[in-house]
Amino acid sequence: MELTRRQILIGAGAASLPLLLAGCGFAPPATTSGGGATGSSGGAATGTLTFTTWGTDAELAGFRSAIDRFQQANAGATVNLNAVPYAQMFTNIDAQLQAGNPPDIFRVPYYTFGSYAGRGQLLDLSTYLPSGFSDTFTPAAWAAVQNKSTPYGVPHHTDTSVILYNKAALETAGVTSVPTTLDDAWSWDEFEGVLQKLRTSLPADKYPYAANWQGNGVTRWLSWLFESDGRFLAEDLVAPAIDSDAGRQAVDFTKNFFSANFVPQNNSVKSTTLASDIWYAQTSAMVSAGAFLIPDAASTLDFEWGATFSPRNVRSAGDFGGNALVATKATANPDLASAFLQFVTQEDEMRQFCAGASLLPTRADLTASGIDFAVRPELSPVFVGQASSVQAKDSGQVTSPSMSKIITVLQDQLEQAFVGGQSTTDTLSAMTTGIAAATAGS
Amino acid sequence: MTAAVGLGAGAAAAAAVSGAPSASDARTASPRHRGRSRARESLAGYAFLTPNLLLLGVFVIVPLVSAVVISFQRTDGFGAGTFTGIDNYARLATDPVFWRSTLNTALFTAIVTPLSMLLGLGAAVLMNSVLPARGLFRSILILPMAISGVATALIGVLVFDQNNGVLDKLLKAVGLPAVEWQSGGAAAFASVVIVTLWWRVGFNMLIYLAGLQGISPELYEAARLDGAGGWQRFRFVTVPLVGPSSFFLLIMNVIYSFQVFDIVFVLTGGGPQNATSVLVTYAYNNGFVTRDQGYAAAIGVVLLVLTLVFTAVQWRVSRTRDLVD
Repeated sequence: MELTRRQILIGAGAASLPLLLAGCGFAPPATTSGGGATGSSGGAATGTLTFTTWGTDAELAGFRSAIDRFQQANAGATVNLNAVPYAQMFTNIDAQLQAGNPPDIFRVPYYTFGSYAGRGQLLDLSTYLPSGFSDTFTPAAWAAVQNKSTPYGVPHHTDTSVILYNKAALETAGVTSVPTTLDDAWSWDEFEGVLQKLRTSLPADKYPYAANWQGNGVTRWLSWLFESDGRFLAEDLVAPAIDSDAGRQAVDFTKNFFSANFVPQNNSVKSTTLASDIWYAQTSAMVSAGAFLIPDAASTLDFEWGATFSPRNVRSAGDFGGNALVATKATANPDLASAFLQFVTQEDEMRQFCAGASLLPTRADLTASGIDFAVRPELSPVFVGQASSVQAKDSGQVTSPSMSKIITVLQDQLEQAFVGGQSTTDTLSAMTTGIAAATAGS
Repeated sequence: MTAAVGLGAGAAAAAAVSGAPSASDARTASPRHRGRSRARESLAGYAFLTPNLLLLGVFVIVPLVSAVVISFQRTDGFGAGTFTGIDNYARLATDPVFWRSTLNTALFTAIVTPLSMLLGLGAAVLMNSVLPARGLFRSILILPMAISGVATALIGVLVFDQNNGVLDKLLKAVGLPAVEWQSGGAAAFASVVIVTLWWRVGFNMLIYLAGLQGISPELYEAARLDGAGGWQRFRFVTVPLVGPSSFFLLIMNVIYSFQVFDIVFVLTGGGPQNATSVLVTYAYNNGFVTRDQGYAAAIGVVLLVLTLVFTAVQWRVSRTRDLVD
């Protein structure tokens, strides 16, 4: 048959439409090829899944490898990876959910997880996961994928902040040793002493420390609250609980970073300059940072640097960073989606992914045995040790369905406290009012 | 009246040239034939309009009406929202960040619009003169137009970083104190204005340049013979004759300023302490960060009303502006 130019153009347009839509992050939901997946029953799963995520090069390479192995283990199963920039990840996901054509699976930070789980957008995995599945994970990690005691995802990996330091800067200030175990971590008083020594030895335009609480990273400020054994939500996860002695200590201690010139003034929570960039430029001697920075830091920095544990107050604590993998309620193939989620959280899969991408495992066995990062493996015990200080009662609060509104409250009030001169009392009072408004109706 | 007569004569001439039925032909044609002819013309007109009307409807009217409907709801975007009447608008009235954002938007518009037009006109006059290497200078001024707002703002971040930015290093190198571009409210606002001007002046210059090149050199020669100096020629010849360009740029700059988003979002994020928050960044934060989409829609509707009011005022002004030609 002879094709006309018009027919060729129409054909090419029709063929490229799905690619264009996928490129825009608007791939249609998966279709099942029939045959049914077996999911938890352990047989081969078949069908097609779409999986939307953002990621560093190392993370995306890890996902691609895992998908290859999943497809080899399940003949007839296909997972289409849709990698998008983080900046457009959740506006796309929201639009797709609202339009009724979401991907089958997507990656979500724990602090965003509650927004979807609490609003009925995710697949309830209770009936798809084998019994005892939850025992695989640390209590903190499993708590982070629950909504009203129901699992809506799997904790794929975590990350928590430790302190990265410039060795030369600390030595110049007379700080010749740093804590090497979690139990020996600097107390807040000792940490302040280190900051003071650095302040004295550094020129005025250099700073002892930079905190990584910019943007949605404001949840990392909660580490200071948890280190004082405080809470921002009461046990019902609705009532505000931040106006407490622990809250007062956390606000006072971190406010002092600015008033004592321990951090640059543009290190506030709403700054567009990231703390890691301040440290990279050697404007600060120390920075709080997650393990995901290690590959970039190792390849780009030309000064010697190490890692030590975050300071402790009443107890050690950490921010529960990292991401879960979730299936959407609208998925056409929940069995296959569940099978994939189980596959990527198997021991070998999680070890390979975390080691390659410098991230921390959420499985209890891997947390206990440790993990060696592909880059700077000697730093792995510091990160894994710090992650062990995260408690389920801490991570459970961060997955509140109201977290997106609570984040705004924390940003506004901490900005006022740090650089706006707002008193600690007023800050805690305003946080209480804001959190109560955010959780109203939960 | 003159314009109407002229238009009528022109239309008749056009009809004669194109072979369309003249008035005398129409008188001789049967009423049935005239009706069919008019119907065919109307049909053709609507056929040509349909694609535009469809696009306008789908991408402008429907979202606009939806936004107004959503602004009366409490919704996070998932599922049906809850109708809350004018609650979102009542909340706006008592929200200090909204008022701060409105004030910042107005201030930004009031500063950026005249400055970018003045600088654009000044640059255009220079580039229209015998300035050496003016082709190169024109290219340099227009170059920012080729860069997206986000990329422009990212360059701004490198320049205005108060720890390691180019600008503060230069200031310190010449013995001046560093400016707190990121932690000082006024300085942060100034940084947004400066980056915007860098981005927008080239566009203004381009439009003015086109306007200037349409002015007959004889007018300047006549003014010179009448004894007008350089400033007088600029004031009484150039400025009035680029009036249509000024009117166009005024509309464009004001609308752009009302809608400013990318530069603020990337350069300052609305901070410090909301010193650079504008209506669109505040709506974005409410809609996509806090997921309070009803409230965000209400902010958007306020922005729409402000733009409509401005447009209505300019519509009135435009009647006199048209007389310039």
